Amino acid sequence: MEVDSQEQLQRKQSTYLSLDENFEIQKEVYRGQQYSQIYFARLHMMRTLLYSLVPNWKSHLPVCTVLELKEGKECIIFGTLYKHMKLKPCILDEYSKERSVAPLIKPHNFMHQDDYLVLEDESGRVKLGGTKLSTSVYVTGVVVALHGKETSAGAFFVEDVLEAGLPPQIKRPLKSREDKYVVFVSGLSIGRSSSNPLQFQLLVDHITGHLGDEEEQGLAAEIVHLVIVGNSVEISRGLLNGQNLASKDQSRLCEPFKELDILLTQIAASLPLDIMPGSSDPANFALPQQPLNRCLFPGSTTYNTFRSCTNPHCFELDSIRFLGTSGQNIDDLTKYSEAKDKLDFLERTLRWRHLAPTAPNTLGCYPFTDRDPFLIDSCPDVYFVGNQEKYETCLLKGLEGQLVRLICIPRFCETGVAVVLNMRNLECHALTFGTQISS
Amino acid sequence: MATTSKNMNVFYRQKKNGTTSTGKKSTKSPSPKHAATFGSEITQPPALVSHGGSLDLKDDFDEQEQVLRQFDMNMAYGPCMGITRLDRWERAQRTGLNPPKEIESLLKGGKVKLESLFDGRV
Repeated sequence: MEVDSQEQLQRKQSTYLSLDENFEIQKEVYRGQQYSQIYFARLHMMRTLLYSLVPNWKSHLPVCTVLELKEGKECIIFGTLYKHMKLKPCILDEYSKERSVAPLIKPHNFMHQDDYLVLEDESGRVKLGGTKLSTSVYVTGVVVALHGKETSAGAFFVEDVLEAGLPPQIKRPLKSREDKYVVFVSGLSIGRSSSNPLQFQLLVDHITGHLGDEEEQGLAAEIVHLVIVGNSVEISRGLLNGQNLASKDQSRLCEPFKELDILLTQIAASLPLDIMPGSSDPANFALPQQPLNRCLFPGSTTYNTFRSCTNPHCFELDSIRFLGTSGQNIDDLTKYSEAKDKLDFLERTLRWRHLAPTAPNTLGCYPFTDRDPFLIDSCPDVYFVGNQEKYETCLLKGLEGQLVRLICIPRFCETGVAVVLNMRNLECHALTFGTQISS
Repeated sequence: MATTSKNMNVFYRQKKNGTTSTGKKSTKSPSPKHAATFGSEITQPPALVSHGGSLDLKDDFDEQEQVLRQFDMNMAYGPCMGITRLDRWERAQRTGLNPPKEIESLLKGGKVKLESLFDGRV
């Protein structure tokens, strides 16, 4: 076997464009505003959009506000949905004298059969009736148009619903592409006692081309980008109980970052890499999470291939648009609604054109005054969510010819699975790393 | 603070649209109906008396302030709390709501309050 082959393998390149500007909050000034501003921005933007879709849906019906509703008059109303949930944890429960139905052990899902939906706009709110609007599907914060009429009981009987639907997608030029791969990995959880450093090292070695023969290395050379989708470190709970740390504990606090930085330096030396913050990472709690500070990665930031990004993260590679989050938005939907799988939740957020409809109700969010940054204006080609239980993917087709690859990225620490996407045809497959040595 | 509803009328003078009232000055002495507060300073605590020595009673009457308050209360432009009037106007302009131009000139003109009525009070 020859050690030095005649030709050196070159890694393929792709053009990168970051679209995270909308998620950055450096320019925002907090003036004591509350969340009414972001809800108004959301309602106004979505209502303008839905208003333009109504002529194609039911052009013969009049549009009115909630206060203008008259009993028996069939009309269309626009507003934000609010789901009243009996089991939703409320701060006032702690102060109530009698312990009511809510159990002390928190359930994973707060749904109850007595939940009901309410539609709200600036003028007022109205309770919604009828079976067309499924209480198990919708959550607080979704803006819809409803066709129906007011009943004698004062509720609004819903006959039909109009969601915004998939946003328009910019058509990509169909030039014959070569195979170029993007690797997604999430939930590395370095610092957790059960995390296996050998697994991630194997991934790094594979991507950087240090494993395998020429054919393997040839495949690795076609990987153009790596995205780390949140929860890269996990700091042990014992160190975060609010007490002063002894100096030996302080060094224990930094160890996960040092380990991560060593591995990221190896990757950054080889290919472009994006790292997003997650719920267990040292970034701000409220969405949009700001990029992890570069001082956490002294080795990797020397490379210009290393990019610390926001969560949610939006970027373009060779004019293919990617959009994704580290999982907080989908996890919140799981708590307050039901679906057969996580891909269903992903699809719903695209149809509602909003990344995180439950923000700011049950999901922490910055109180923007002039815009709602989670509105999806343009349909991505790849829509991903990290830190899920298992790898799932599907191809979503829209009514106007949109094509989106939906990906659920599993936690690497628990599954050893990373996801590889081929940019030529948007096909996806899993890359599994195991470190069991079989006898 | 024992301000009764009768006393509130002195504070928030209701103004009907289209009337050409000259704006009564509130230096009237309390009528026997207000005997409970006769002589007390509940409606005009000394802290509110401005430096010139005159009572701070004019803030309700300013014409420009009335126009701006109508702008604050207009639901079409969203909530007025937690955002300066100029920011709210600019947001309305940017999102295509076509707010009246004279509000912008009033706000940039300087002598008016930049915050809405409720700012800092709620």
